[in-house]
Amino acid sequence: MILTRRRVLEAGGGIFAAFLAELAAAAGEPVEIAMKGKADGSHVWFDPIGLHVKPGQTVQWANRDRGNSHTATSYHPEIFERVRRIPAKAKPWNSDYLLPDETFSFRFDEEGVYDYYCVPHEHAGMVGRIVVGNPSGTEVAAEATGLTPLPTPALNGFPPVEEIVAKGIVRRE
Amino acid sequence: MKLVPAALAILLAGSLTALAHDVPTEVAKSPPPGAFKAVSSLVKLPDFLPGMGQLFVDPASLPGGPFLAYDHDGALVSTIYMLPVKDLNPDKRFEDLAAPGGNVDHVDVYYNAGHPGVEEPHVHVVLWHVAAADEAKVAQ
Repeated sequence: MILTRRRVLEAGGGIFAAFLAELAAAAGEPVEIAMKGKADGSHVWFDPIGLHVKPGQTVQWANRDRGNSHTATSYHPEIFERVRRIPAKAKPWNSDYLLPDETFSFRFDEEGVYDYYCVPHEHAGMVGRIVVGNPSGTEVAAEATGLTPLPTPALNGFPPVEEIVAKGIVRRE
Repeated sequence: MKLVPAALAILLAGSLTALAHDVPTEVAKSPPPGAFKAVSSLVKLPDFLPGMGQLFVDPASLPGGPFLAYDHDGALVSTIYMLPVKDLNPDKRFEDLAAPGGNVDHVDVYYNAGHPGVEEPHVHVVLWHVAAADEAKVAQ
């Protein structure tokens, strides 16, 4: 495999960003998840796509995509009648549309697995997963009747819980 | 006879100028008239989209469009159609889409993951009314 100088620098930058995010997570400080996209809008994603935090930690989403709007919206029946994919006791959240450089923060108190998505880009697979603490397993909601299921690109987008816990941060390839 | 080439040159120059600027007056400058609204006034999107410009659309024409795109000086640069990927199938047709922007210099077709207003993967069909080199006017 041949690595170009740019590739090495990009890889180095990614590792450094992951290192900073892990330091912030370890210190209990707010951790940023960037909303990103290619200039022509052909690809959009959360960066990182998987994040492991402590109970009580705050996560801040920031729109770093100059040409698009994004949301960070939890899967929950109270928000757009979606299947619940956050802990039963947890509060759902919805950032609403964030314009470039706008941010939204949410504090995660309940241990468990939280799946969320970007409203205009769910069908393009723009989803993310946050693992809080060390949950025993992925909780599956029972009340799915009448609720809107996830499209296939979204279902295929979540990193495994085990990988997030092991690495702390999972980025898009 | 030098008069003939000179006359031809003047005639050609006049024709090319006319071609390059043959944009219907009513849509040449932003905002376009009638039912066209700024996209940023209809949905939460930046007013100027890098790579496209300031967009206007008649809400009744969504999601296909046409969207009229203008540069920072308010000059029309392109007409854009946004066609959902799921609608490109044997049972769906997009017919008689309006094309109010006049002469087309070249066309781009590319995939877009979605954005407020067209919240699903779709294809952008861009009819550029300016030369490829002038796309830079809406790059940033």
